[in-house]
Parts: sequence; C-alpha cells; structure tokens
Amino acid sequence: MNSDEPHWDGGGGPERLYVITGGRSGSSAKTTLDLVTLIVARSGPRPGMQPEQAAIVRICQRPLSVAEISAHLSLPVSVVTVLLSDLIADNRVFSRPPVPPAKLPDIALIEAVIDGLQKL
Amino acid sequence: MQRVRAGASPRSSKSPVPLWLLPPLALAIATTITALVVPSTALLPVLIAGPVATVVVAIACGEAARRGRRIAALSDESAAWQAALRRQEAETLHLADTLLPEVVARLRRGDFAEDVLASLHAPEAHLEVLRSVIDAVTAEEDLRDSAQRAFVNIARRVQAIVHQQAQELREMEDRHGHAPDVFGDLLRIDHGTALIGRLADSIAVLGGARPGRQWSRAVPLYSVMRGAMSRIIDYQRVELHSVSDIAVVGTAVEPLIHALAELLDNATRYSPPQTKVHLTAVDVQSGIAVEIEDGGVSMSEEARGRAERMLKQAQQGIDVNDLGESPRLGLAVVGRLSQAYGFQVSLRPSAYGGVRAVLIVPQELITTAAQPTGLAHGIGASSGPRTTPSVPAQRAESPAPQPAAQVPGPRAESTPAAPAAAAFEPAAAAAPAAPAAPAQPPTAPRTERPVTGPINPVDDDVPVVTERTANGLPQRRRKAPAAPAPEPERPAAEEASDGVQPGMWLAAFQSGLSGETSGAAPAATGNGPRADHEPDAPSASASKGNEQ
Repeated sequence: MNSDEPHWDGGGGPERLYVITGGRSGSSAKTTLDLVTLIVARSGPRPGMQPEQAAIVRICQRPLSVAEISAHLSLPVSVVTVLLSDLIADNRVFSRPPVPPAKLPDIALIEAVIDGLQKL
Repeated sequence: MQRVRAGASPRSSKSPVPLWLLPPLALAIATTITALVVPSTALLPVLIAGPVATVVVAIACGEAARRGRRIAALSDESAAWQAALRRQEAETLHLADTLLPEVVARLRRGDFAEDVLASLHAPEAHLEVLRSVIDAVTAEEDLRDSAQRAFVNIARRVQAIVHQQAQELREMEDRHGHAPDVFGDLLRIDHGTALIGRLADSIAVLGGARPGRQWSRAVPLYSVMRGAMSRIIDYQRVELHSVSDIAVVGTAVEPLIHALAELLDNATRYSPPQTKVHLTAVDVQSGIAVEIEDGGVSMSEEARGRAERMLKQAQQGIDVNDLGESPRLGLAVVGRLSQAYGFQVSLRPSAYGGVRAVLIVPQELITTAAQPTGLAHGIGASSGPRTTPSVPAQRAESPAPQPAAQVPGPRAESTPAAPAAAAFEPAAAAAPAAPAAPAQPPTAPRTERPVTGPINPVDDDVPVVTERTANGLPQRRRKAPAAPAPEPERPAAEEASDGVQPGMWLAAFQSGLSGETSGAAPAATGNGPRADHEPDAPSASASKGNEQ
C-alpha cells in the first residue's frame, strides 16, 4: 500500500518445512536411511504426489544418495528422510543401504583365502 | 409585524362608520323621537333616561368592539407563532435527520472540517451546533486514526521480527537437518513463530495495511495453499488435494495466504479434532475457487447469516475499536482482504456436515505457473534454478566452490533449462549446496566413516574413481583440481561421456559387493543423460558468463 512499508522478498517460498513433512522431524521413524543410502525410483512421478516427492522420484531415476537428494532439493536431510520413508512405504522408491559391516567378509578370512591360493 | 397586520383588519372593515356606533345612534334617535311624542308629563324622565341609556350603550358597544379587535389580533399572533414553531421544528428535524449524519459521514470520508462547514446552509444557531459537532467528530477521528496507526505500526514491527526469525530458523533447520531431535524442536519453534506472524498480519490488515511481506514474483497456488497451512495450529489435519498447476501473481500472494489461513483456522477450530479439513482448488469460469470443507458442526442458518453479515460489514471497513473484548478477527480479516483484492467468499453447509467455505480468486490475479516448476514447488523449487549457474562455475575453477555465486541469485527464473540440467548433474549440484548449508551433509559421511571401521574399503576406493569422473561429491572435489580444464566445454563433454553416472559407479560397486545384479537400471539410464547433456553444456557455460 505505502511505498515505505518494508518490502520483504527473497528466500524461500511461503510454506514452512513442517508443512512439507506433516510435522514429522524424522526422529521417531527409525529408518535405515543413511546419508549415503542410495535411492532409486521404481517409476516416474504420479500426478497428485506432493511436489517434493515427485521431485525425488524424478531425480532418482538413477540412483542417488540421500545427501545428494537433500542438496538438490535444498531441503534438510531430516525432511528428505521423512519424505523418503513415505515413498519407501508406498513402494515408489527402493533404497539400497550401504553394505552393513557384518556382511563384509572378515579380513582374516580373506587373508586365509589369499594364503591358501598362494600355496596352491 | 404581526401586530401591524392584526390592527389592519378591523380598520379596513370599519371604514364608513364604526359598527359599534349603530346601537347608541339608534337609541339616541329613539330617545329623540320618544321625547317629541310623549306627553309633557313624561318628558322629564325620558330626557333623563334616554341620554343616560344612550351613553351606557355606547360605552358598552365600544368596549365590546375593542375587545373583539383585540381577540382577533391575539389569535392572528398566536397563529403566526405556531407557524414559526412548526418551521423551527422542521429545521431541527432536518438538522438531526439529514444534516448531522451527512456532516459526520463526510468527515469520516476524510473531507476537511472547513469545507464541510462552508457548504452548509442552516440558521446561525444550527451552524453553531454543527460546528461543535464537527469539532467533536474530528477530534474523535484523529484519536481513532492515531490509535489505528499505532496498531499498524506495532504489527509491522512484530512482522519484521517474525520474518527475521523465520529466516534464521530456516538457516538453523538447514544446519541441523541431520540431527532429527534438534530439527524437530526447530520445526516446533518455527510453527509457533508462524502463528505469531499471522496474528500480527491480522492486526495490520484490520488497521488498513497490507498483510506481511510482499512478493515480487508469482508463486504457485500449491505453495500458497501450503503457506496458508503453515500458519494455523492444526495444519496436520488439513488434507491438501490436487491443485491445478497455476500461480498467483505476486501482489495477491500474501493476502490470499492470509485469507486462506484464517478460513482454515476457522475450519479446524470449529470441527472435532479427529476430523480432517479438506482443501482443494478447482478452476471456475471467473478464476480459481479454493474450497475449504470441514466435518464439524453445521452452521445454523442464523449463524451463517451472521457470519456472512460480518463478512459484508468487514468489507465496508472495520473499526479496530469496535472489535470487542474477545475479538473474532478471522472473518473480519477475510472480509477486509476480500474487499481489497476482489476475492469472493461464501460460507455454505458442507456435504460433510460442517461448513464449506469457498474463496474465489479472480482471473486477473492468476497467471500460468510463471516459474518453471523445477524440481518441486516452493522451497524445493528454488533449488532447481539455483544449481544451474553454479554448475559451470564449479567446473571452471573446480576446487574452490563459490558460495557467493549461488547465494545472491537463488531464484534465477531466466534459466528454463535449469531443472533438467540440475537433475542430471547431481554431483555438481550437490557441491554448491554444501557451502550454502554449513552442516555440509555430503561431507558428513567422511567424518563419520572412520568410526565405523569396516566400511572403510568403500570409502578408500572412492578417490580412485572420482579422479576419473572429475565431478564428485564434496569429499571427492578435493582431488578434482587437476581434471577440469580452463575452458568449460571440454570437461562438460567429457563429463557427458563418463561423468553422467555420478551415483552409478557406487551403485555398481555396492551391488557387486552385495552380489545383486541391477543391470537394467544402468543400461537404461546410460543413454538418457548423454542426450540431455550435450545441448545443455553451451547454455550452462553461457549462464556461467552471466554469473560472474
């Protein structure tokens, strides 16, 4: 109305992050999502999806880590985690967790195998 | 004047001979005749009684005539008085019924007291009355004005603080995004701040000012609706349904957000806490209709009438002082905003049993999604354009990321190719975000991994591969300086050939480790990026020129 009124602009849209996550912070959901967990979309975005989720599905046509998704969308990791756990629950994407330590063969075992091979 | 006229009428009637002289004259003649006729013995009494009677009759008649004249004069006079009285009464009525309300209305409209007074025609005494009324009204209006200005001023200050805090909270949320507990707390504070902001906006609107911040660009309707949800307590109960892909022009963004927030607040407040409130937007002939439907108690016809009356009344202007002790600002604010921006608001019973509020945004406030709705609406969308300019910058002088380059231009709308480019260059795009967010999520794994020892093999192999791809995640970037050449085209082309699978090698690596085979995915995506990439490289380098 008046020109002397403060003109605030720049920096984000009108919505706040809690609306995007529906109030969840990702602390309660014990997900297996890590910063390096790779996410791949199962299909393309569907109409009616939340835009952020659609964006995730779109950029995850090829595997992307959670950290990369977070950087792409300029959204904090926790928000991305919440969105991703929804997507995973809906079977829209699937996650490939980093190889858990237990699955890696024991170094001693490898050494034993190498030794065995050398002795052949 | 009246006296003159009262005296005039009898004089005109007695012009030949005064009427009252006739009886004494007759008596005198009769006495004379009698005196001539009667015998001499009776003459003396006749001569005595005749003149005496004549004189007495003359006196009585004269007196009667005088009184008659006097009565006529008096009744004339009283009629005149009555007429004057009626005239004055009419004038007083005119003053009370017409003149005073008109004067007050004109003063309220903002006419100057002197002008109003000069244009009035009334008796002097009435002018005097009007003058004092005008004085009183002017003083009252001044008082109200200054009170309202004070309201607005305070609201403005609160708005400024809230806005500042919201921005800082957003930074904090970015910084603590990886710590869910802290993040959750920050979200709650953020929510509370938004509620304060809405209250300040309401006060500003009722004081006749604009609500909150102004937007210089169009904002997608979806973001606007979520923005409205951001500002109510029970936003989790609001179910946002699909929205047509349009945007709201900048000037109408904040009013619309605020009006919707007030309607949503009403809907959530007056419906049971376990019910949902449905928020939709549909195209209609005259614009876009935003519907808010709740499953609460239905409004009685009377309550609905009252609410609509309140909306109407608000459209004619609201007096902040009239709001009462526990003001129900909501509808008043909505009415005020509707009037200022041409929204049409109606409240109807809902099929769900509650109330269905429909707000129609006129066509002229709507534009097609001006912003290429890049990666996402709203917050997410800003990242789409933002990443592109920084991509070439990153490539040209690779090791030093330029925080200054991407921070000032967060919403470069001039890069339509941005979303596509950003989508296919994940690693490069991730890099600029890292300096922007102090938490640097991408680098976090690096610091954490040594703790979880056995994963080290994965980490150790990373640098080997990235030295070939030349655009890595932040931790790989340190090894990158050798690879990118000064001219941006060549690395871009190079990257198009083998840098397109930023996450791919890792996927292949991991799937190899875990024994899975996901051959389909790499094969399918291997070609896609290349095709999209090459047309992109020149435009990217061009926008780099703009950037610097």
